[in-house]
Amino acid sequence: MYGRLVRNDMAKSKLTTATTMAFIAAAAMLVFLALFMVVHLLGAIDNLMTQSKTPHFMQMHSGTLDEERLKAFAQKNSQVEEFQVLEFLNMEGADILLGDNSLISNVQDNGLCIQSDKFDFLLDLEGRVIRPKPGELYVPLCYFKDGTAKVGDRAVIHGREFRVAGFLRDSQMNSTLSSSKRFLVSQEDFEALRDLGNTEYLIEFRLMDLSMLGAFETAYIGAGLEANGPTITYPLFKMVNAISDGIMMGVILLISALVVAIAFMCIRFTLLAKIEEDYREIGVLKAIGIRVSDIKKIYQAKYAAIGAAGCVLGLFLALVLKDRLLENIRLFMGESHQSFTATLLGITGIILVFLTVMAYVNRVLKRFKSISVQEALRYGTSGEPAKGAQHFTLSRSRLLNVNVFLGIKDVLARKKLYGTMLVVLVLAAFIMIVPINLRHTLESERFIGYMGIGQCDILINIQQTTDISEKAESIVSHLAKDKDISKFALHTTKAFKVKKGDGSEESIKVQLGDHQMFPIAYSEGRAPVSEDEIALSVINAQELGYKVGDVLTLVIQGRERAFKVSGIYSDITNGGKTAKAVFSDKDTGVMWCTLSVALADKALVKTKLSTLTKAFPFAKILDIEDYAEQILGPTINAIGLARSVAIAIALTLSVLVTLLFMRMLVAKDSHAIAILKSLGFTNNDLRWQYGTRSVFVLVIGFVLGTLLANTLGQGMAGGLFASMGAASFRFETHGLSAYVIAPLAMALSVFAATVLGTWKAGSIKLSENIKE
Amino acid sequence: MNNLIVGEDIVKIYGEGDEQRRVLDQVSLTIEEGEFMAVMGPSGSGKTTLMFALSGMDGLDGGRVAYRGRNLAELDERELSDLRRNEMGFVFQQPTLLKNLNILDNIILPALRNGKESAAQLTRKARALMKRMGIESLEKRDITQASGGQLQRAGICRALMGKPSIIFGDEPTGALNSKSAEEIMDIFAQIVDEGTAVMLVTHDAKVAARTQHILFMRDGKIVSELRFLKKNSPSLDQRLRLITERMREVGI
Ligand SMILES: Nc1ncnc2c1ncn2[C@@H]1O[C@H](COP(=O)(O)OP(=O)(O)OP(=O)(O)O)[C@@H](O)[C@H]1O
Ligand SMILES: [Mg+2]
Repeated sequence: MYGRLVRNDMAKSKLTTATTMAFIAAAAMLVFLALFMVVHLLGAIDNLMTQSKTPHFMQMHSGTLDEERLKAFAQKNSQVEEFQVLEFLNMEGADILLGDNSLISNVQDNGLCIQSDKFDFLLDLEGRVIRPKPGELYVPLCYFKDGTAKVGDRAVIHGREFRVAGFLRDSQMNSTLSSSKRFLVSQEDFEALRDLGNTEYLIEFRLMDLSMLGAFETAYIGAGLEANGPTITYPLFKMVNAISDGIMMGVILLISALVVAIAFMCIRFTLLAKIEEDYREIGVLKAIGIRVSDIKKIYQAKYAAIGAAGCVLGLFLALVLKDRLLENIRLFMGESHQSFTATLLGITGIILVFLTVMAYVNRVLKRFKSISVQEALRYGTSGEPAKGAQHFTLSRSRLLNVNVFLGIKDVLARKKLYGTMLVVLVLAAFIMIVPINLRHTLESERFIGYMGIGQCDILINIQQTTDISEKAESIVSHLAKDKDISKFALHTTKAFKVKKGDGSEESIKVQLGDHQMFPIAYSEGRAPVSEDEIALSVINAQELGYKVGDVLTLVIQGRERAFKVSGIYSDITNGGKTAKAVFSDKDTGVMWCTLSVALADKALVKTKLSTLTKAFPFAKILDIEDYAEQILGPTINAIGLARSVAIAIALTLSVLVTLLFMRMLVAKDSHAIAILKSLGFTNNDLRWQYGTRSVFVLVIGFVLGTLLANTLGQGMAGGLFASMGAASFRFETHGLSAYVIAPLAMALSVFAATVLGTWKAGSIKLSENIKE
Repeated sequence: MNNLIVGEDIVKIYGEGDEQRRVLDQVSLTIEEGEFMAVMGPSGSGKTTLMFALSGMDGLDGGRVAYRGRNLAELDERELSDLRRNEMGFVFQQPTLLKNLNILDNIILPALRNGKESAAQLTRKARALMKRMGIESLEKRDITQASGGQLQRAGICRALMGKPSIIFGDEPTGALNSKSAEEIMDIFAQIVDEGTAVMLVTHDAKVAARTQHILFMRDGKIVSELRFLKKNSPSLDQRLRLITERMREVGI
């Protein structure tokens, strides 16, 4: 008898059963894929870093280099297993031509290398160490990925001809997040071009024991060796390699959590509706002495069947899709040889999804216990009057149309049931608004402020060259004469030592100049104004442990000088570790200079850009929009894609869930509908009532979703940016999209789904339903 | 007297194929304006079905029903709804009140939909009716907090709110004790005096005895009829005797 009950029930609610199963399948698939990919990613990174023997410690250095001294240090230090200095011949993007594409507007530091003898190998796509022949050029994979180059292309570097012989995996610099890219050429070609580029050094060490990295780092710094450039260690290489794909997997896991939540809502709604519908039957069963646990078993069996089918389907889909998702990891990092572990973990994830679903079903089924036989038999419904809605009565509501009233009243009276639909709509609104606002924020001018750059039109960088100060001065005097330029500011970056609490010293890069002309986003305090003030980037402030108002001691030319911390600002460039001050200092060497330029007429940016580029070939001159675009471009595009996907998901979800809910409601409400029709309410009246229900729920859902997006969503995005060095992140809301188009689109979908879902209400047979 | 509802050769078939049953088999009848009428018959003889047919709540498989000369088959869903709301009142076998609304709201609901009177006016009117029915103290109660008989009275109040031309009552007194049933019949009698037609389905000869026109049904057919003229009509006891006799004759 129970078996028949379940079968009847599933046949009657085919749509709901199918939807619930689909959501469970989607959740199972996503969980599997995310776990599967995590294992592969970690495995592939390990493999790549083992094959290419990535250095444990690397110091980049530009300027003169005393190799003998370094060798002596390496020999003396017992930790060092191997040591080498590689040359990185930095080339201007303009001097690199791949096929028909010049790298002129590329923001990466592109440079030439030869293959190393000992470690830090550049690998081909089969994981072999590449030995280029003269005339052959091996190009970083990212230029394959973005379509800049392909095998067989003619390449020209500083007038010297090459053929693109292949692409290379670089365990250090694979990621677009690392700012340098290594091209591989033969020794012969390298020597020929040596004088045409700017040589930087990669001072690299492999240690006996990676756990001694911290001690080694201290020893290196303590020895006062070459250190004009960033220091990067093995764990950081690993992280940089993992981060892009890692974020994607995080997102997938997040989405799967969301899908699981929606599957739960479907189950909850179905069960609650079922319980409401069967209230009398369950009461009867209880009255004639059938145990609640027996009744519960029916539903457990039903959901075990749905859950198992969904999970199997999900696994199948995941197995079909997994290879396509692995493509990127395979391309950049090669194989992981972890298929078995990955599959095992993925299946464990799916089993977890199944168990969670069953646990949830049991929780909802607890409600059966509380069904009162007395009430069930007398009224066919639970006796508790709808709390809070009792004072909302027809006789007192003067303003509302009867149908609107009935719609709202129904929602208020069955809060639990509609709460379920509400949760889904809140989620839909949330996943729609967050990417809309996120993308808009990234595109907004203000976002540049988070990057530690004021709002200007053109950015001029002078670095990796000689006589930086003199060159900067020549540009300054040029700019001062130019009438098109409304204002400009010169910032000179120098490295000083900051004295820490324990007496030790650490290097800090300080930008000197006027910091008020192009203001940036300060999370606390303000820009430095007087000579004894300094502002710190968020990450620096955190790492050094300073707050606004604290006193910080810099060592300048051997003399200590105290500064007051005037403010803390966001900076996601240069690794997020910078400082700003206004004091003058003539003697310390300049690392680089930056000029921020604002034009009187923004339309002139392009022409000004080309005249400046011609006049000052040594400087890197960037349109600020291009610059932001290149740094943020991939992120903006990814988020733009996420936004489209999210909108599609949100709308589909709204339609599906509303359709489902409305159809179930009509089925459940057939008695009430029959009563209303016998009283002379038209089908149109009914449609208005159901329309009001969904619009009412939608409005609340959208408001809550928006609130959630602007608090939790902003917090989540803020957390992400905070880890990159941006503080006090605020959404720049796109009012039109977020608060007009998005809700309208949702309202339209929900409304259409309601009309569709309640169509059947019109054909409810009075004579059959009025009798109960 | 003018005809209010005229039914001609009404046929209603339920079931399909071999299961097909003529629940109404060429039933013809006339309800006059202001007439007080009863339908009697054994369980399953088609009384409720007839009521649904006459009020346009269910389509027909044959014949026609005209309300004041308008063929119901030619009216669309909207016009039928308007007709039911404005011209008819219903009291069903079981109370048919909406769960979500309290008793007062249930009573004023259809009249409020008409939009002719304000909620305040309707509330006043409803209170008067509830008082007449003896349920004035229940107005704020949820429908789960009232007895079956009380709900039945609330249903009658609802049917009377719109000043209908006819009230259909499907065993409205079935759930009540004889004293309450009599009170309700008094009210129906009053309504008829005010000019509203009433058609009651009943198993109770005492109830039927209060009406003027009684139809006896069997197996989907009207098998007999009794009429008492308003003027010099027999006493209640005599009528009761006549009705029980006729019931025995037709085998009810
Ligand atoms: N929807 C339906 N489908 C099939 N048969 C039906 C349907 N509704 C009623 N019937 C059948 O039609 C016949 C007449 O039903 P109806 O409800 O009119 O009887 P009734 O005279 O009102 O009986 P009662 O006095 O018990 O209320 C019955 O035999 C019943 O089984
Ligand atoms: Mg009946």
